[in-house]
Amino acid sequence: MAIDTESVERSRRFLEDGFSIGRVEITSEDFWGWLTILPVVILYTIIALIPIGFAFVASLHNVPLLNPQWEFVGVENYVNVFQIDRFWGSMWRGVVFMVGSTIIQMSVGVWMALVINKITRGSRILSTLVFTSYLIPTIIVTLMFLFMLDPYDGVLHAAGIQLGLWDGFLLGNTSLSMGAVIIISSWKFSAFVTLFTLAQLQSIPDRFYEAAKVSGATTWEMFRDITLPRIYGAILVVIFLRAIFMFNKYDIIYQLTQGGPGTATQTMPILAYQETFSTGAYGMGNTIAIVMFLFLLVTGIVYLKYMNPSQEVQT
Amino acid sequence: MSTKDETPEFGRSFRVPHTVRSLIYRAGLWGSYGVLFLILGFPVYWMAQNAFKTRLALEEAGISFLPDAASFTLENFEVVMNPTVGRYLLNSIIVSAGVVITVIVVSLVAGYGLARFQYKYKVRIARFLLVGYMFSPIVLAIPLYLIWDTLGLLNRYVGLILALSAISLPFAVWLMWKYIQTIPASMEESAWVAGAPRWRGFLDVIVPQTKPAMIANSVFAFAIAWGDFTFSYILMPDDSATTFPPGIFRLFHSSWETGWTEFMAVSLLVSMPALLFAFFLQSYLLQGFKIRAL
Repeated sequence: MAIDTESVERSRRFLEDGFSIGRVEITSEDFWGWLTILPVVILYTIIALIPIGFAFVASLHNVPLLNPQWEFVGVENYVNVFQIDRFWGSMWRGVVFMVGSTIIQMSVGVWMALVINKITRGSRILSTLVFTSYLIPTIIVTLMFLFMLDPYDGVLHAAGIQLGLWDGFLLGNTSLSMGAVIIISSWKFSAFVTLFTLAQLQSIPDRFYEAAKVSGATTWEMFRDITLPRIYGAILVVIFLRAIFMFNKYDIIYQLTQGGPGTATQTMPILAYQETFSTGAYGMGNTIAIVMFLFLLVTGIVYLKYMNPSQEVQT
Repeated sequence: MSTKDETPEFGRSFRVPHTVRSLIYRAGLWGSYGVLFLILGFPVYWMAQNAFKTRLALEEAGISFLPDAASFTLENFEVVMNPTVGRYLLNSIIVSAGVVITVIVVSLVAGYGLARFQYKYKVRIARFLLVGYMFSPIVLAIPLYLIWDTLGLLNRYVGLILALSAISLPFAVWLMWKYIQTIPASMEESAWVAGAPRWRGFLDVIVPQTKPAMIANSVFAFAIAWGDFTFSYILMPDDSATTFPPGIFRLFHSSWETGWTEFMAVSLLVSMPALLFAFFLQSYLLQGFKIRAL
């Protein structure tokens, strides 16, 4: 009995006061707090931090994928990567894809959110569709659109031919394929913007609109003075997230065109993949990955600094 | 001031009778509804419609906008019985289940810690985790390929489950943290007073109340795992180990025998969870997006 209580006492003392290793004091709050978040931190380290570090090390080496003999070459990969034509081309196409799809997604997404929020009947059906397009796997979206654009049985293909918009397979057209890829990926990813904006819209209290109505404001004025300032902060965050996601987008472009025809839709992630697994130049692939990462990091920091989306209206 | 005359503002300086204005507004609203409904709904409808069509009907008659009884068939769905496609689906199910379980457990514990303990660098750590969103899957997957190869985790479920959980977790933890903060601490304290140890309080008081956040988290984690292409394409290079998205992609590019109707059937089947989640769990999902500033 006596021993029992003593051990309980000791554990209780530990629970309440914490302990110290040498001169570092660790309170019990620190200990338990860190213990709870430890699994996430470990996973995150394994999946994100170590690979980034590994990629950086690999980018300094010449690594043929099939025969992993690492040969240290220093910054030679970086020098080479900036000299190859397809790097600058893919950088440019990546930026076109990023800017184009972000603009389309932002306008369609916000428009859609406003409609869903204002509509009195049938909003559930439309928002179900929005959620569906967000949750549906990318490969399904790809198959759906490849089917609709199929030169033999495709309904969109037939419509486009009828209207004279394109002839032949749309995604095989060098000048139109980038536009097509942007529009198809916007079909899927506008939903993200819609959901984000909709959540903000629904948190605006009704009394604001009632007060505005009483003082005789028009719908437009209510939108300008109540709705817009409220969703402005969220929109800035969404632009940031969308731009990053779209610049990094690999799957939908690869599934639709594999970077082709030629290099018409070869953005940077595609180039990185092809360098690594088609060319087998693992070091070079990692160099491109690191350059991408740094580019986004710098752009992201500049954006956050100048737009400051974390400062927003509170309810 | 001349610019003000050139661009009259709406409303005050631009008097339109109220009835006309409200008519235009309504027309715009319902017009938009129609257009958006068509854009979003048509591809899904088209997929579903052709999934039930015989291959012959598609190839002979070409495009028909309404399903008809003569060409109706269920045999496209037999493609699921095909050992290859069945294998992909099974792999996808195993991986998704693993990811969902990992994400729920880890995010509950971490969210509780963030909400209830005041420890050093807490907010900084949470923010730092969110930066993980900046990493492209391709940027992570290329280095992971060799790391996993060395560790022998290539083509293993565990490898993919770990990678995909780590992708979903920052958001899930953040959501859970914010959600647990809305549960009054006094509820837990009353359990302690009654003599329950801390973990009992967590399990019996907190966990049942986090149901909405758990649903939102599991749906998002499921969506990521179920739809992921990049990670599984690179980390599961073996055809028998791969999940559905890369599997069907390879099948699509390698076989000329499988027809569009079969692909649409299996697509419909795979997007069913998405449709059901979207319909039944909307409000929980929307809650997930209420996260404000980063």
